[in-house]
Amino acid sequence: MHSRLSYKAQLRIFLLPYVVGSLILVIIPALATVGVAFTEYNAIQPPQWAGLANFVKLFNSPLARISLRSTVIFLLVAIPLRMTGALLLALLLQSRRRFFTFHRAAVYLPTIIPEVAYAIIWLWIFNPLYGPLNWFLGLFGVNDIAWLTDPATAQAAIIFMSLFTIGEGFIVMLVGLQNIPLAYYESAEVDGATNWQAFWRITFPLILPWILLLSFRDLIIAMQGTFTPAFVMTYGGPNYATTYAPLLIYELAFDFFDFGMAAAALIVIYLVLVMLIAGVLNIVSGWGDNA
Amino acid sequence: MRNIRIGTHHAVAIAITVLFLLPLFWAAGTSLRTVGAPPPNTVTWWPRDAQWGNYGFIFELVPMARYLRNSLLVVALAVPITLLTASLAGFAMSQLSNKAQRRLLIFSVLLLMIPGASVWLFRFQILSWLGLLDTIWALVAPAFAASSPLFVLLYYWNFRRVPQETFEAARLDGASAVMSWRRIALPLARGTTIGVVILTFVLYWSDFVSPVLYIFDTAWYTLPVGLQILKQFDATNWPLLMAGAVIMTVPVIVLFIVLQRFFLSDFSVANLFDRG
Amino acid sequence: MRNKFLLVLLVLALGVLVGCDSAEKTPVSFMVFGDSAELAAYEALVTEFENQHPAIEVALQHIPDQGDYRRRLAAAFSSGEPPDIMLLNYRRFGTFADQGGLEPLSDYMAASEVIAESDFFPITIDSFKWQGDLWCIPQNISSLVVYYNRDLFDAANIPYPSSNWSWDAFLDAARALTQDTDGDGVVDQYGVGIEPNLFRLAPFIWQNGGRLVDNESNPTQLTLDEPVSLDALQWFVDLQVVEGVVPDAAAESAETSQSRFLNGTLGMIFNSRRGVPTYRTIDSFTWDVAPLPFSRRPAGILHSDGYCMAAATENKDAAWTFIEFANSAEGQSIVAPSGRTVPSLRSVAESPLFLDPAQPPANSRVFIDSIPSLGRVPIMSTWIAIEETAGNEIERAFYGQISAEEAARTAISRTQTYFDQNSLQP
Repeated sequence: MHSRLSYKAQLRIFLLPYVVGSLILVIIPALATVGVAFTEYNAIQPPQWAGLANFVKLFNSPLARISLRSTVIFLLVAIPLRMTGALLLALLLQSRRRFFTFHRAAVYLPTIIPEVAYAIIWLWIFNPLYGPLNWFLGLFGVNDIAWLTDPATAQAAIIFMSLFTIGEGFIVMLVGLQNIPLAYYESAEVDGATNWQAFWRITFPLILPWILLLSFRDLIIAMQGTFTPAFVMTYGGPNYATTYAPLLIYELAFDFFDFGMAAAALIVIYLVLVMLIAGVLNIVSGWGDNA
Repeated sequence: MRNIRIGTHHAVAIAITVLFLLPLFWAAGTSLRTVGAPPPNTVTWWPRDAQWGNYGFIFELVPMARYLRNSLLVVALAVPITLLTASLAGFAMSQLSNKAQRRLLIFSVLLLMIPGASVWLFRFQILSWLGLLDTIWALVAPAFAASSPLFVLLYYWNFRRVPQETFEAARLDGASAVMSWRRIALPLARGTTIGVVILTFVLYWSDFVSPVLYIFDTAWYTLPVGLQILKQFDATNWPLLMAGAVIMTVPVIVLFIVLQRFFLSDFSVANLFDRG
Repeated sequence: MRNKFLLVLLVLALGVLVGCDSAEKTPVSFMVFGDSAELAAYEALVTEFENQHPAIEVALQHIPDQGDYRRRLAAAFSSGEPPDIMLLNYRRFGTFADQGGLEPLSDYMAASEVIAESDFFPITIDSFKWQGDLWCIPQNISSLVVYYNRDLFDAANIPYPSSNWSWDAFLDAARALTQDTDGDGVVDQYGVGIEPNLFRLAPFIWQNGGRLVDNESNPTQLTLDEPVSLDALQWFVDLQVVEGVVPDAAAESAETSQSRFLNGTLGMIFNSRRGVPTYRTIDSFTWDVAPLPFSRRPAGILHSDGYCMAAATENKDAAWTFIEFANSAEGQSIVAPSGRTVPSLRSVAESPLFLDPAQPPANSRVFIDSIPSLGRVPIMSTWIAIEETAGNEIERAFYGQISAEEAARTAISRTQTYFDQNSLQP
């Protein structure tokens, strides 16, 4: 086999499992789902063409509006916090001092804990009567926060726990920081700049592209990441406060057997994500013009 | 002055570590509390009469041992297969023309954005056509497609950093692509491989959707389903639920501790994210 | 090295693929949901069936969680390979029947020499009838009852529930059972546990002379805002908001009522027969069941699951043979001792197998005595969506976030779209 196939042909064969496998297991099923958005489909009968009816239904549905709002609020609050957290932790822990490998590992660890197990652990932490979080806050005189049982605090709770799974962003920021030439800081020191000034003049501008890139990926990760907590911990409640888009899509499909509407919701939420990304890019390119 | 600063730095770092490990510690402590006893009003860090029997009890309550064995089998198959397919694809990608690379990059990034929920319904159909439903291969199948485009990209970024002349020279010496991949590329990607091992392990270990969708024979259920059954038994039986969560988490932590030396010590894997 | 690895993979793959039994038996798949106790009962049923019918092999598919069960059913139907036999609740079978997913069973039933419609309690048969056909064979006729902790009643020095107790008598008991046992100002023993949703609320509306929907056979809207319905809703909500005899939202999420009951810190819990296998694991106190308390007239609510056959089934006769066996006196007698079901066959329900006073609950007769007053929810393709949407509003009222009137109003307006989308014509 080695001698007969050209080098390039061999490379193509290497790619085959990945490309063909993804096609079969991911792309074709996903495209079929997109198609279903324009049909009425309940999994039992073959889909019936329905045009844009599902989208109309979606826009008229109060539940879908609430869900879209919760999702966007979650993303707009959680992602800046996750990015800031990852950057701060990277700044603090990039040191090569002793034990810092261990500290970095500790920060990364929650990211790879199985989601279901992690959600159940947090369910206990947020337990309003017996949970360790309220006990801890009680030491500071803050009493009886309802967390997941009150619509006002449930969203905050889910955002809070999402701040612990920022391992990927953390590592990328570490690399970004490492890539900044030391010489920049040395010359800043010569100029008599404080650490604070050095951060804003050197670190931040150079790390910004990394932050942006990460934000885009995080939009997807954080959004998909809402599914397990919402499913395991609150099932979308109380009063729909945590019915994020992925859970809504799940409910439409598997509680109400309305696969057409579920697929339409999937398309709409992706359009929203694209808009968010375009918005951020727009702002950023604006900065470029002014500079 | 300098000593104080260093001391503060260490103190802050330790505080962060404690904060990030606290949830796990609480889970472990709670898992050892007496089942059915009224929860105390203050937090006990570690129960005085630790009930290690809770762990045995959940193995009696649900066939946890079988689920554990199945989960281990799934990762034992999925991880090596993923390493093979992802590294081959990443290697091929790095060797192709710029145009082809760009196309594959776009393909991979788009693939990365497809949400899991959108494939649930129709993957069932495809697995059924392939005759894989109700076999362990229904759970392992994505490994043949590299499990996640991210893994292919990690290898791709790694191999792109290797000077192309290295491969060029080997090729002129008559090395096949297989030989270049095995003799040159893979040894240069040890950090990436370790990263992919950890991430693939976690991916399959935590998967709680596939087993309920694609497996009919309960004898092939995996750990996440076991945790679900446990939760159904009594949704606020915290000691047992935490014990279940700990059983699911410990193998991941062990693997991570064994491999993290390579993973985070010199940001070596992290370097792969650097495309510059 | 790599070749060896591939070889191992190949051998493993072949092992799994070829490993299946290839005897010449007629295969029938049977999908159920439920906890381990229920699974054990179905396993016993299948084993006995296979003993008696060696030519048929039943593949039992058990999905623990009901949500997962639906997800799996959807995927299976959509790929054209549904299980041959599946257990469906009467609130859900309509969608599948309407879309041609199910095989009508009237003719099989008529031709059967083992079972006949008249052997069953009529309401269960009725609840699986639609457009003149019988779609599933009901396996059980459960109803909502009150499980109570006798020891806590004794400790509070109050009489056990009578067979016709009123809302007031119930509330008196609930108040007496709600206690702060350690005197720290926090209630640690509650009187009542009940899930705030439409299905739990419904019987109280009926008792009051109210109705859930405007037209049982062709519903067009919820009628929670009618005075008698609203009155029942207000009473229901007040149990928590005014009386505080039910755990509030925080207390419930800290420790569910089910957990509290099992741990002996909850006096009464509303549940269907479903709770029995779990409650039988209790050894720290004695418990029993009582009928629902009522206001104007007794009313309960039907819980029933049926054995349904997929239209796509290849081996229809074999599938029917199993359904027939499972719902014969013999089959139901195998499942009955698990405690999970109230048998839908009158003969089995009246037999010592079910009524056995040695097995708790001593007063199992409550389930049978309540049958004449059972009501049921309408058969609609969108009923589950209506129940969930209305349930959210009822829950908010129950936990004091909105008033009962507002809950009724919002529930009606938010569910209207699902009434309009109902595709099931009577």
